[in-house]
Amino acid sequence: MKNIYKIFFGLGLVGLTYSCTDLEEELVGDLQSDFAIEGIASSSSGDAGDALTGAFNAVRNAGTANHGGYFSVQSVSSDEMAVTQKGGDWYDGGIWLEMHRHTFSSNNGPINGTWIQQYEQIAQVNNVITNGNLDAGQLAQARVVRAYLHWRLMDMFGRIKIVATGESTAQRTRTDAFNWIESEILASVANLGGNDVKYRINKYAAHGLLAKLYLNAEVYTGTARWADAAFHADFVIENGPYRLSDSSVKVTNLGRRPSVSTDPVELSGYAAVFAPNNENNPEIIWSVEYDEATAGGMNFNQMTLHYASQYSWNFQDQPWNGYSALEEFYNSYENGDARKTANFIVGAQLDYGGNALVDLASDNADPAINYVPNINELEPNANRIGGARLGKFSFQQFGRPDMDNDFPIIRLGDMYLIRAEATARAAGNWALALPDVNTIRARAGVAAMTSITADQFLAERGREMFQEASRRTDLIRFNKWGASWWEKTNSDAYRTVMPIPAEQIQVSGGTLTQNPGYN
Amino acid sequence: MKITLLKSFLLVGALLCFGLVGAQTVSGNVSDANGPLPGATVVIKGTSVGSSADFDGNYSISAKAGDVLLFSFVGYTGQEVTVGSSDTINVVLIPGNELDEVVLTGYGSQREKEITSAVVAVSEKDFNKGNVNDASQLLQGKVAGLQIYNKGGNPNSGATIRLRGLSTIGANSSPLVVIDGVIGASLANVDPSDIASINVLKDASAAAIYGSRGSSGVILVTTKSGAGVQGKPKFNYNAQFTTADILNQIDLMSPDEFIAAGGRDLGSKTDWIDEVTRQGQTKVHNIAVQGGAGDTNYRISTNYRDVEGILLNSGFEQFNTRLNFSTRTLNDKLKIDFTTSYTKRDQQNGFNEALRYATLYNPTAPVYGADAPYAFNSATYGGYFETLGLFDSYNPVSIIRQNINDGNKVEFNHSTNFTYNFSENFTGYFRAAEQLSRYSNRLYYRTTSLWNGRADSPTRKGSASFFNDEFRFKLYEGYGTYAKSFDRLAMTVTAGYSFQQQNYMSHSFTLGDFPNDDMDYINAIEYSQDLKNAGLIGASSDKSPDEKIIAYFGRLNMTFDDSIFLNASLRREGSTKLGDGNQWGLFPAVSLGADLNKYLELEGVNQLKARASYGVTGNLPSGSGLSQEIRTYAWAGGDATGGSTALARAANPDLKWEEKAEMNFGIDFNMDRFSATLDLYEQTSKDFIINRQVDATVYGFNRRWENAGELSSKGVELALNYDVLQGDKLSYNTGIVLSKNKSVLESYVAESDRFGNLGAPGQNDTYVIRVKEGEEIGQIWGPVWDGTITNGSQNFVDVNGDGNLVTNQGSWNAEDADFAVLGKGTPDFELGWSNQLSFGKWEVNAFFRGAFGHSLVNTFRAFYEPRVGSQKSYNYVNTELANPDIKNAQFSSLYVEKADFFKLDNLTIARSLDVSNSKIFDSMQLSLNVQNAFVLTNYTGTDPEPALFDSNDGNPLASGIERRNSYYSSRQFTIGLNINF
Repeated sequence: MKNIYKIFFGLGLVGLTYSCTDLEEELVGDLQSDFAIEGIASSSSGDAGDALTGAFNAVRNAGTANHGGYFSVQSVSSDEMAVTQKGGDWYDGGIWLEMHRHTFSSNNGPINGTWIQQYEQIAQVNNVITNGNLDAGQLAQARVVRAYLHWRLMDMFGRIKIVATGESTAQRTRTDAFNWIESEILASVANLGGNDVKYRINKYAAHGLLAKLYLNAEVYTGTARWADAAFHADFVIENGPYRLSDSSVKVTNLGRRPSVSTDPVELSGYAAVFAPNNENNPEIIWSVEYDEATAGGMNFNQMTLHYASQYSWNFQDQPWNGYSALEEFYNSYENGDARKTANFIVGAQLDYGGNALVDLASDNADPAINYVPNINELEPNANRIGGARLGKFSFQQFGRPDMDNDFPIIRLGDMYLIRAEATARAAGNWALALPDVNTIRARAGVAAMTSITADQFLAERGREMFQEASRRTDLIRFNKWGASWWEKTNSDAYRTVMPIPAEQIQVSGGTLTQNPGYN
Repeated sequence: MKITLLKSFLLVGALLCFGLVGAQTVSGNVSDANGPLPGATVVIKGTSVGSSADFDGNYSISAKAGDVLLFSFVGYTGQEVTVGSSDTINVVLIPGNELDEVVLTGYGSQREKEITSAVVAVSEKDFNKGNVNDASQLLQGKVAGLQIYNKGGNPNSGATIRLRGLSTIGANSSPLVVIDGVIGASLANVDPSDIASINVLKDASAAAIYGSRGSSGVILVTTKSGAGVQGKPKFNYNAQFTTADILNQIDLMSPDEFIAAGGRDLGSKTDWIDEVTRQGQTKVHNIAVQGGAGDTNYRISTNYRDVEGILLNSGFEQFNTRLNFSTRTLNDKLKIDFTTSYTKRDQQNGFNEALRYATLYNPTAPVYGADAPYAFNSATYGGYFETLGLFDSYNPVSIIRQNINDGNKVEFNHSTNFTYNFSENFTGYFRAAEQLSRYSNRLYYRTTSLWNGRADSPTRKGSASFFNDEFRFKLYEGYGTYAKSFDRLAMTVTAGYSFQQQNYMSHSFTLGDFPNDDMDYINAIEYSQDLKNAGLIGASSDKSPDEKIIAYFGRLNMTFDDSIFLNASLRREGSTKLGDGNQWGLFPAVSLGADLNKYLELEGVNQLKARASYGVTGNLPSGSGLSQEIRTYAWAGGDATGGSTALARAANPDLKWEEKAEMNFGIDFNMDRFSATLDLYEQTSKDFIINRQVDATVYGFNRRWENAGELSSKGVELALNYDVLQGDKLSYNTGIVLSKNKSVLESYVAESDRFGNLGAPGQNDTYVIRVKEGEEIGQIWGPVWDGTITNGSQNFVDVNGDGNLVTNQGSWNAEDADFAVLGKGTPDFELGWSNQLSFGKWEVNAFFRGAFGHSLVNTFRAFYEPRVGSQKSYNYVNTELANPDIKNAQFSSLYVEKADFFKLDNLTIARSLDVSNSKIFDSMQLSLNVQNAFVLTNYTGTDPEPALFDSNDGNPLASGIERRNSYYSSRQFTIGLNINF
């Protein structure tokens, strides 16, 4: 009998002692912040595997070259491109129509997404700054990246928050934000190196950013800084180890179809700056690294090409047939402009074997796919083959949905145009822009201009900077943002800054207020 | 008395005690005027020690002199007999009163009349019959307030079970399942034919003893045992054969209509739905044996199910076995119950997408490439035709026939219960249980499959994915019960401790680019060309921490004058999911009931009980470490080594328990032939936990778990039962359950929010469900079509009449928006009506079920009904609501349909065969059953049953969307044979 008591008592004891009251939970299957530091330290080897990886991955993950975020808002809201409604496809609740027509509301998903993307990535950079045991040079780079992400926000939303240790979290005026961004970059320049490192920030990248910042200073603060813009662009051009990618710069054309004789064996000059194998291009000062397997996030192939174009490049995945260039914009290029062939895909499309691609649901009697620059209408039944396609970041054969091309943030071509514009505006004489403009035109293989107006300059800049997420900012600086084009009518001046996303105002607990004009 | 009680408590806590009285085996026969009552229960009063009568009405139970034995059987008045010196007690029960029937409650049992909460017991005779392969189907429509919906007829998808509407958003909204006392058991591991009865604890006062896991109600399942069988073992054999056919399919254009509407003619005529579906056949065999000797008895069952779905290559083959074993020792003071079950299931999951593409594929396209109207390289696509170059267009026959989506599930559990009668008043219980379930899935897209197999790509053809997961659960519980009766007062005190721990682990990998399909992919992964470029292999793994729940609980049941009942309980529970300082929650409950008839003494009335209860339960979402941050890892890119982490969830150290408080008022009314139960309840979930959007400028990430709102739910439930005829030759019983529920979002993270994005093509950023603070959940929200069309587009109503039409989705919550509530996803009102008729050897069961007031967004129509120009190579949905003038797709009221339905859910006709001359057989019954015999509805989609959550992301706030990958529902005919020998 006694034994049985022991057994029963023992069983009870097992139950009780097993338990104790320890409710500690260690997330064995997930990464947490301590790993962020140890993980970096343990895998630190060489240039790209250092503690700064997190900071530079942040720019890649901030909507730089994919659908639905920063790139899309910056580009579709301009006269460069549109996402047309193709009957049952791409209506998407009207978000891309209102983006293009400037009737977007504070509930617009991509605008909200852009905000979230930038701030989440700023937090990643802050994590690196706080926990990364950075040396002075690394810290300087991280601060510039952080300033750059804030610049995107300030450029788009105006009144933003600054997220950095020691800074007030209150919503800033646009001028305050501008001043902080400027001071961060200026404070970092001295600690930056001068070697050509595409995926890291050197002093030329920092000066390039300053040039872009000052170029738009009048828009941001009401006070023009033309001379400063010209000075910093000039510094990069004159002192940096960079040169324009001219015809001597050649890379293998990875998109070539062997059976299509018109496909060049090599890409050179302007086209080489944006090719899948552009990692060593001499014109690029700072670029975001993309890789089809290890660094995804560039999806222009999916975004712009017709479904059937999959067979021209043997893509693994079917494209979405969304984005196309506006006809007027396409037509602003003269024939023979190397940038016209590099930036757009038009005409009859052939598959890998050289046969015509067909669209069985074609709008025309002819099912052959032939991209035409004309788009019949923005909505509701835009042609499926309407509009030149975005081809600047060219595609490679057997490509995956994620592309390999690096996306330049600062490149020398842009610096020439900034120096030209800032110099001309500082002096009030557009003719002063001609030398740099003609340098750029020469590289594109078109004749030099002998005179130039502000409008002509804007058009030239548009031709050069297409698909680099610059057009919205440029139109605003030239007071053309509110103008009408194609199916877009005049829009109010308040729309030069985007609405603070309604969801963000909601979750901010009263610390964010809406920009004037929006509700 | 107080001191005695206190002492007893101490004794319980220490699991020590003194005082033994010799026990004996009491046996006998339970019968009514007509003969034995198989299945009648015998319980020692005040304990959960019990037994039941065998097929001949014989029982045996271990009891001691002075114990009170409580005999009961459904539909009969219970009897109490005090054990004296005799070992034999024979009882004749008198029909009519169910009030003394013993009902299982959490950690114990009570007589039905003592129950003061909303508790419903459903026994085997009331279960749904026919092709029931999932235990939850047994109850569908039978319990007022218990919603069980399995939209469509996919044999591999489980039902959505919800009690009394929605009580939580981020946390588990399904009731807790307790099988034979084991908390958190899996219904998948019990064969429906092994279940003896199911009790549903509906209100918080009944469920509070289970703490956080009982917040959405509790379902107590009791499996059949071998109790009562002595001597020769009894066998039961049950066999079923079922055929299933598509009940309803979406109206599409015929090939001729399609061509007439401007569709591209590809020269063939194909009924794609027909090509990917079949008549599903199901075979079921159950065999069970029960037997015993003395105090030891057992029941062993073996169940085999071979189920075919109506979609090709979907179904499962399942083997299940269960052993229930019980014995007594130590002078019968210690009772040991051991249960184990094992389930092995091989399932073919098929691809629901085949049904979606069958809906939209060109009806003039041929199945095989050889029949293509133009030169077509069939070999590349496994011989099948494909319309290349179209967006989202794949040959459905190729999808379902070429690819493999097979799974294998193993579930195992065992539980051991020790019950020890320390003294006349005091019983101790200890339970140890474990569950293990493993699932592995293999997915293979052939190198010749265009869909996901990249047949058209010169590289990376074919793809194989392997997924394995494992779930483990441990339970240790100890509790004691002290029962004491005084003059007019009887009381039972229960106190105990519970420890639960669960772990989850999974891993998967995907790789592709196979040379061809000649090798079996399962042993050919080493030939994947992806291995040459390791970056292309997808892999993931996940391991949960040890998630623990520790709880202490106590309960007091008091009965005064056999007519006034008080139950009170308290549970203190801690969870590892919350941060320090917030881990422990306290969950009280109290309920009171009085049998007013004891004082009113109404003529012919057996009971008129009024009851009121209040209880609080807690709830937590299923993820791990909810209060902690999580980060992801990203590579540096290119050939660089190393990488960086990024936040994937922000921490919230202040996260605390979500609490639900519920009040319930009920009336139970019983006459000899009529009974009624009415319940009214109101529940409020405070601080519900959701993974919500937060300020990214503050937290560095835009989501984390927060206590972020309040949800309330009110409802009425009524159950009526009437024995219309009670003759020997002819009897007829009818019962109705009605329930009405309204769930309101009282406060939320935002004044309003929207969910349920329709998606590609063309309807991204089109959210069709809105919630708004202070309003009912599940509102379908969008512009209102005015019935006219301009230039192929719908014209919308200026809802607010301001002369300015604002219908773009971005303005959904703007002040001047012309949006309206177009319907709601949850039903207002649900009905179950059962009828049992028996005459002679015949028995007919007819069960009708209906739900009213809900609507569904018919996404088949929203996407494929507009006569979109670019859709010339897809078929058009062509219901009676189609308008051929609409040429582009834009969501509106046009695609929201009322989905009220009333159906003859289950009809069974059974006949007993005369085996009185047989020496072998005790009984034999043949039955014929029809499920979904008819459905009355105006809904034009696949199935009018409510969609309680969004099947795309599981969001319970987004009810009311029928998604395009829905499995089609079926009508099923079953013949069954049941033999006892």
